[in-house]
Amino acid sequence: MQTTLTKAAARAINATKIYGSAETAVRALDEVSVGFPQGQFTAIMGPSGSGKSTLMHCLAGLDQVSSGEVFLGDVELGSLSDTELTLLRREQVGFIFQSFNLLPTLSAAENISLPLLLAGKRPDRDWLDTVIAEVRLGDRLAHKPSELSGGQQQRVAVARALVTRPQIIFADEPTGNLDSRSSAELLGFLRRAVTSFGQTIVMVTHDPGAAAAADSVLFLSDGRIVGELREPTAEAILDRLKAIGE
Amino acid sequence: MLTVTFKGLWAHKRRLVGMLMAVVLGVGFLAGALALGDTLSSNFDKLFASANAGTDAVVRSATTVGTGVGAQRPAVDVSLAATIRAVPGVAAAEPSITGFGEIIGSDGAAIGGNGPPRLASYWLPDPVLNPYKLAQGRAPATPDEIVVNRGAATAGKLRLGQTVTVLMPTPVRVRIVGIATFAGTDGLGTATLAAFNLAGAERNILGITGDAAQASSIVVRAQPGVSQAELTSRIQRVLPANVDALTGVAATQQAVSDVSGTFLTALRTVLVVFAGIALLVATLSIANTFAILVAQRSRESALLRALGGTRRQLLGSVVVEALCIGALASGLGLLAGLGIAGLLKGLFDSFGFALPAGGLVVSGTSIVVSVLAGMVVTLGAGLLPALRASRIPPLAAFRGAAAEPARPSLLHAIVGGVLASGGVALVVAGIQAPTSQVLSVVGIGALLTTVGVVALGPVVAKFVTGFIGRPLAAWRGTPGLLARGNAMRSPRRSAAAATALMVGVAIVTLFTVYAASLKTASDNGVKGSFNGDIAITSGGFGPGTLSPELATAIGGLPGVRTATGISAGEALIAGKAQQVSSVDPVHIGAVLDLHPAAGSIAALSDSQIAVSQHEASNRGWQLGTALPATMPDGARMQLSIGAIYTSRDLTGDYVVPLALWGAHNRQGVNSAVFVKLAPGTDLAAAKAAVTTASTPYGQPTVNDRAAFIAAAGQGVNLVLGIVYVLLALAILIAVLGIANTLSLAIHERTREVGLLRAVGQTRRQLRSMIRLESVILSVFSVVGGLTLGTFLGWGLSQATNVAQGFATFTLPVTRIALILVLGALAGILAAVRPARRAARMPVLTAVATE
Repeated sequence: MQTTLTKAAARAINATKIYGSAETAVRALDEVSVGFPQGQFTAIMGPSGSGKSTLMHCLAGLDQVSSGEVFLGDVELGSLSDTELTLLRREQVGFIFQSFNLLPTLSAAENISLPLLLAGKRPDRDWLDTVIAEVRLGDRLAHKPSELSGGQQQRVAVARALVTRPQIIFADEPTGNLDSRSSAELLGFLRRAVTSFGQTIVMVTHDPGAAAAADSVLFLSDGRIVGELREPTAEAILDRLKAIGE
Repeated sequence: MLTVTFKGLWAHKRRLVGMLMAVVLGVGFLAGALALGDTLSSNFDKLFASANAGTDAVVRSATTVGTGVGAQRPAVDVSLAATIRAVPGVAAAEPSITGFGEIIGSDGAAIGGNGPPRLASYWLPDPVLNPYKLAQGRAPATPDEIVVNRGAATAGKLRLGQTVTVLMPTPVRVRIVGIATFAGTDGLGTATLAAFNLAGAERNILGITGDAAQASSIVVRAQPGVSQAELTSRIQRVLPANVDALTGVAATQQAVSDVSGTFLTALRTVLVVFAGIALLVATLSIANTFAILVAQRSRESALLRALGGTRRQLLGSVVVEALCIGALASGLGLLAGLGIAGLLKGLFDSFGFALPAGGLVVSGTSIVVSVLAGMVVTLGAGLLPALRASRIPPLAAFRGAAAEPARPSLLHAIVGGVLASGGVALVVAGIQAPTSQVLSVVGIGALLTTVGVVALGPVVAKFVTGFIGRPLAAWRGTPGLLARGNAMRSPRRSAAAATALMVGVAIVTLFTVYAASLKTASDNGVKGSFNGDIAITSGGFGPGTLSPELATAIGGLPGVRTATGISAGEALIAGKAQQVSSVDPVHIGAVLDLHPAAGSIAALSDSQIAVSQHEASNRGWQLGTALPATMPDGARMQLSIGAIYTSRDLTGDYVVPLALWGAHNRQGVNSAVFVKLAPGTDLAAAKAAVTTASTPYGQPTVNDRAAFIAAAGQGVNLVLGIVYVLLALAILIAVLGIANTLSLAIHERTREVGLLRAVGQTRRQLRSMIRLESVILSVFSVVGGLTLGTFLGWGLSQATNVAQGFATFTLPVTRIALILVLGALAGILAAVRPARRAARMPVLTAVATE
């Protein structure tokens, strides 16, 4: 893989995740070793149950591997307590979920600054302005999430993920609930975050069109990495998926 | 459809626990109150049945002094017993002579303190008539011999043959010759008994001997073969006018109904009222739980509707659910009630109201009433949200429209506003109403105000929770900010969650303010009228237990200028039973200034009475008005009003001269002796001398002026203490309600919690956020409750002042502040379980929940 070329923002070494025990045990991740280079946009694809979400959750410190090691930057996650993991997520990780990204009681601006608010830190004004300008939310900042469209809500989520300048951003089906226009717009923002700010992004997706926006695509099946596609196109991704047997 | 209902109930069982608890506690209290009543009633039945077991007929005066059940009766001549003995069929007839007698134990202190009744009586020589049986020794043969009950002997470490002092209340030295049991037990409850022979009883209890002596009644035993009815009718023929004979069975029934008609009914009423408050709070609290549950299930309901479920079926499902919960909770509540009855019994015992011993008894009616109350409360609470949910069109529910409107309607604002302002106006206007209507007008106003405030809750909730949350947000940072947002997001739900606690706190505050107002009035009144330096009081309840000799003994001490006694009793005046104080008109002025508005206390003659200004103006009396009166011994007379006074805190509304009172009462007792010292006398030394001198008289309480004034209002605090305990359960239910609402809200916000944890909220911050939301809600309730309760307390004390003439509105600031602090603490407490559960939620499940 690419681990040797540039420093990895996150990596897994022989990561195995087993749910349940004995006969009902399910191997969601099977000895996965992978690195996500800094400043790269990586998409993870695979059929349902292939382990792509599990991999992402383990990398993000939301879940723990059963065996093997997971590093975020230089920090090994297995040895961290819940509070240490939380603080690490707060400072080093950005999240964009498929839906329900925002707290309904907070305004868009407050939602963007939420990780900083939780840390009791004052946002860096210039960076905040840059981020807000980037996702073009300037005029919607005072609104509550319920007053924003789906696309706007996801843009707030992107801004929130960017605001702490995290080591890595995990996006879990970020375009899953959006129409094609909003999807394209959102992928554009993610792409620019990588290109302009050097942000590392890992995105789990079902949509070959979305995955085509990434620098490379990792394919998972049955808890293993079964392939990688660099500088992908939607057609190439579809072909590869067919080969895996989705 | 029923299967779906039961599956749903089972699936949500954890969420139902809180609701169940509220009903269990409320029903438990009610069942406990009723069971306590049943138990006491059954105990009293047994007690009187054993006490009267050998009595076939009772002869007593036909007149009553006082009105209603349990009224006193004048005495009958002791000599009547001899007349009755001559009636054919009579096996035995004895005068029943009962009075006060306090036995001094071996340690020098009165046995039983101020708690249980301390009785002295004539030891009936007929072993069948006498409910007490000798366990040891023999019956008293001379006036200076007594029999004591075994309980008293044990408590006072008294032996057979020992010479003891009995305060009648004048101390007499007597020898114990017998120890008796009552129905196989140590005595009549915890009451002590000192029983004399006839001469001893006449001398010590009646203070008169021979033909002039009078007994409270004559008890008669029939010869074998003579029925009670036959015996009674034969006796009736030889009785003078105004004296009645009734059968032993009837006498027992009357004694039982006297107790249950007065004491038991009052006790039961008080307990049921507080159980009602607890149930009301429970209803408010579970209504909110139901509303949230139904709202959370709106998608589920929509699915059922879409699949062909009718509105009726949905409604029926909730009704069945409510009935199931109600039945289960009522059943558990019934069990809890038995425990609570035991607790209450212990509580009453510990407050000095010793109750007869015996196991717990529960009547069928009590069980039915408790279970029914639980079912009705649960069903009532569930019906409204169910109706609302069933009205939502299926499609709207699919789209996620809440079955629970978040914002208050305009109707709320209008109805609440009208009711609250109308109620307030009524209370304010009510205190100006004519005396007889004040309490009812103010009462209706108070009720309207409460309903109005509850209706206004959702209207003001957003603003008030926001206001309370602001300093918390500033103080606790982001968790505070988030908590404030959560508390404000659904004003209707916040208000509903807060209502139960608000009503609970309002009632607590009402009692607190009212008690403080009564105490202030009492303190001021006592301070303004008591001019003495030292007061000797017997403590406890009733007419007092101090010997009239005590005043004389104290009066002889060096440095004492005046020592005068005051006694209390009941007489029939102008057709009503009234509490009457009797004083020595010549000396009372030195220690007590009653502030006469007309006439003079000092100049009161033996055919005159003094009446309070309050009573005189209510009844339209003036100086010189003649009032018909019946004294405790049945003597009728006309008393003219010789003085009208304004300070009534120590004497009540009627004062008669001691000479008049003493002539118509046996066994003179004083409730207090007031002492005025000569100028320049050292108070501490004088108090020590007075204490020493009064020790032989049963160690009464000796207080200087300041301590006496402080102690005068203590009764109010004692009652307030009991009220607090009785209200504690309602508050607990209300706090549970807040905990329940929080739990449900957090369940609803699982994904929010997950998101917050994902983007960096620590468990600590999460717990803090939930705790702060709970604090905001509880402070909202407490502030509302305090405001409402203070206003109602003001209204009630003003009304009492108008109607009864005592109560000076006082705001007990320390206590109010304490309630506020406790309320905030209750909020923290309510959040413990929900916060712990939220913190335990794995981040991933929360994020992944769809």
